[in-house]
Amino acid sequence: MNLRKKWDRASITYDLLTFGEDLRQGDDKRTLFSRARGRTIFVAVGTGADIKYFPPGLDVIALDISARMIERARQKAALYEGRFELGVMDVQQLEFADESFDTAVTACTFCSVPDPVRGLRELFRVLKPGGQLLMFEHMRSSNPMVGLALDAMTYVSRLLGPDLNRDTVTNVRRAGFQIIREQNVYLDIVRAIEARKPHAS
Amino acid sequence: MNAKRVLFGAGDCTAGALVGVATALAVRAVVPAGADMVGAMMVGMVIGTLVHLVVGIALTPLLGMFETMVPGMFIGMYGGMFFAMRDSMQAVGIATAVSVGAVFGVAVTLGIAFWNIQLRHLTNAEFRLPLGGHEPGA
Repeated sequence: MNLRKKWDRASITYDLLTFGEDLRQGDDKRTLFSRARGRTIFVAVGTGADIKYFPPGLDVIALDISARMIERARQKAALYEGRFELGVMDVQQLEFADESFDTAVTACTFCSVPDPVRGLRELFRVLKPGGQLLMFEHMRSSNPMVGLALDAMTYVSRLLGPDLNRDTVTNVRRAGFQIIREQNVYLDIVRAIEARKPHAS
Repeated sequence: MNAKRVLFGAGDCTAGALVGVATALAVRAVVPAGADMVGAMMVGMVIGTLVHLVVGIALTPLLGMFETMVPGMFIGMYGGMFFAMRDSMQAVGIATAVSVGAVFGVAVTLGIAFWNIQLRHLTNAEFRLPLGGHEPGA
């Protein structure tokens, strides 16, 4: 199925399916997002459920590949106390100049991007040197039993939305970022990651 | 401990009990006493996996995807094998199947919750073996 169509379709039930997760993990997202500063790019805004976790006063440009998701996010974006622009764009092909953002934020994004390293390299490109990447992502567990089960479940989950077995931390490194901090949120599957684009040597 | 944690904890245990009971009943319906034990355990594992997927998808909106699916996966797969092993050796009544299934489900859920308490909020710098098998901050 076409990626845009898949997420357009998922937008109908997205808030319902993520209701419990939002309640459980919202505080962890708020803590991570509180580190955002300056001009911020938020990738995969979805229906806007995470907008409420951003600190006020930022200049945020939020993107999603699905126009239906963006439509649903508009009302929540209007309530944000700061500048919050929305746009339809693919993270693998960002239409922004090099070094134009201070912070990049993602939330359960790189489980779904077809070529995650390409998407992360685009974020690397548009971040200023020293710019930070804040990610709230789920990934493959380092526990072999759980990891294998996530591998198996990905065959089903991929039909509806995300992969469950991505090695996101390695992908972040491959894109050129320096990992500052990883913190477990649920087991070692859901993690908060802080990374930085190094200053040019 | 706040109300949200208590409610989610109760919900997780209820979900675990549901997966355990549903798996135990499904396996009991399929595996007769005297069946080959190895074959029965393989069938039990498949049944448990399917049961946990169905119950997990139904409860994900309330409890969260991973918080439902990870305990459910262990209960379904291992519970399915254990219940099938027992059912291939002897016929058990419904009451026994239900109660053992529920206890197994809750016990596994509590075990995963305890494991999560050990791992939660650990950072890469605090891991003796770093997360994901790489050097922290490398």
